Amino acid sequence: MTMRKRVYCVLAAIVLLGWPWLTDDRFFHHVGVLICLTSIAAASLHLIIRSGHVSLCHTAFMAFGAYGSTLTVMKLGMPWPVGLLVGTALAAAVAAMIGPIVLRLTGKYFVLITFLMGEVVRMAIVESSDLTGGSNGIFDVPPPYPFLLSNRAYYYFALAFAVFGVGFCARLLTSEFGRAMDAIREGERLAECSGIPVIRFKVTVFVIACALAGMTGSLQAHYIKFVGPDAYSGFQSLNLVIMNVIGGMTSLAGALLGTVFMVTLPELLRGYVNLQQIMFGAILFATMAFLPGGLIELARRVRGFFQRDKAVAQSVAPTSAPARPQTRAPA
Amino acid sequence: VFNATILGQVFVNGVSLSAIYILVALGFTLLFGIMRVVNFAHGEFAMLGAFALFHLIKDWHWPWLIALPVGVIGVALASLVLEWLVFRWFYQRMFESMIGLLGLNMMMMFGAVLIWDVHERNIPSVSSDVLMMGDIIVPIDRLIVVVIALAALAGFYLFIRHTRAGLAMRAAAQDLETAETQGVNTRRTYKIAFFVAILLAALAGALWGQIYAVSPFLGERPLLMAFIVVILGGMGSIPGAALGGVLLGFTESFVGTFYGAAWSAFLSFGVVILLLIVRPWGILGTPES
Repeated sequence: MTMRKRVYCVLAAIVLLGWPWLTDDRFFHHVGVLICLTSIAAASLHLIIRSGHVSLCHTAFMAFGAYGSTLTVMKLGMPWPVGLLVGTALAAAVAAMIGPIVLRLTGKYFVLITFLMGEVVRMAIVESSDLTGGSNGIFDVPPPYPFLLSNRAYYYFALAFAVFGVGFCARLLTSEFGRAMDAIREGERLAECSGIPVIRFKVTVFVIACALAGMTGSLQAHYIKFVGPDAYSGFQSLNLVIMNVIGGMTSLAGALLGTVFMVTLPELLRGYVNLQQIMFGAILFATMAFLPGGLIELARRVRGFFQRDKAVAQSVAPTSAPARPQTRAPA
Repeated sequence: VFNATILGQVFVNGVSLSAIYILVALGFTLLFGIMRVVNFAHGEFAMLGAFALFHLIKDWHWPWLIALPVGVIGVALASLVLEWLVFRWFYQRMFESMIGLLGLNMMMMFGAVLIWDVHERNIPSVSSDVLMMGDIIVPIDRLIVVVIALAALAGFYLFIRHTRAGLAMRAAAQDLETAETQGVNTRRTYKIAFFVAILLAALAGALWGQIYAVSPFLGERPLLMAFIVVILGGMGSIPGAALGGVLLGFTESFVGTFYGAAWSAFLSFGVVILLLIVRPWGILGTPES
């Protein structure tokens, strides 16, 4: 780690740990909790996207986590950690079951099938009202521990999980495993010829990502103290995709940037729900049409624009950083 | 419960549902087959068609038979602006089109909420008479819907089979580059295909609004149905859309009547998911190389 990176890390830690004390407004703490939780979900979806698939049913796995955990705690009277484990394991188990089948589909077929699966899960929740409370949902979900009733306390709790979840994703992506994922996305045949067991890798990524989503679902349900099918609809999955898309689909930092943007904006524009949705739609369209690389790509282009003059001045001096691999959207 | 009267009723419902599903799915599959655009905003054009019909009848008091074609063609013409603003950026970019047009879908849906609010409205029915065929009751309203939908389908078939523009479309769908080298103006062909697709969607929406109700969320269901129909039949395949529409329409009518709407949805989703796994290119489609 270079000195500069260390300074950045310390600064980030100070900001993340310190800012809840700048204000006593519970609302800001609430936004902080939402950002932490959503960042895990977005980062886990980023893993799937990095392996070349865009899933439109990611919140369905959050639903498995949320309902699994809530029911374990409320119906079986178990402590919350057991609920968290059950929820996470349930999401991972479902992912492990369907993963080997659906991950053989590519591109549009995967998008369509996950879109339909998300609907099926939502409908199943609404229909099995004995267990899940149907479309009314389940109220009065207890917090994980009594002292976590305050938003500020829950923020630190969520932050710890976010650091674990996002850190895990980041570590995975920079490992050899992550490189294999990039190789699979860029050229599946070539990756297979180079000795990467493609399907096994994809399934592993899918299971890990869905387990993280299940964990997020449990944390979220016990925070807002309510689970209902609407929080896990296709629209919510789409929001997670938007977070990844506007930030830039090939970088985890982009996904986090997108999360902060997509969570804060609706909370600040509470009174204008419809305008918000229209704006998100416009952003999504404009990004896909003109800037498929997202905000990260924009930053890179701007930097490239300013550095071009310098590069010309230095004539053919080689750049210090190795060229980033050319990235393309999964087809 | 399986007596002739109820089965007859189920049949009548099945025909009208199938006709509407085919109308929506044809446009969807046309856009995919020719431009490689997965139009996630397709349902919203159906919504616009329904609102156009509603306003022409309710506010302007036009007779139904004039309001329907004028409204539907009006929507399709106005949508050419969207073709220029939005769709042309996504031609031959399947993946980007899917996500980008989901954005357009959101914009149109919530734009409609801003304009029309969320409550449902009803289009005044054309006729409250019923036709008795033996024991089977056929509302004239539904009969008109079926006749118009079938006429539109016949018109579409003639257009695609027997006009130069239709020939250009089929050529572009089969092999874009070869079509271009043979002098097909693809930009113009795209525009015509877009117009036709939106025309069919708006018509389906207007008929849907006639049978059920008009609201900004009207587009959701036709979109979902178009998906299912198109996957069933095979993406990009026109006979596939017709077959898929008939299968889905009758399944929904039959299962929905005897076992409830939820089961019919589960069944059709389940079948589609299975089909996607074993034969993703659909019943009548061709696998991509």
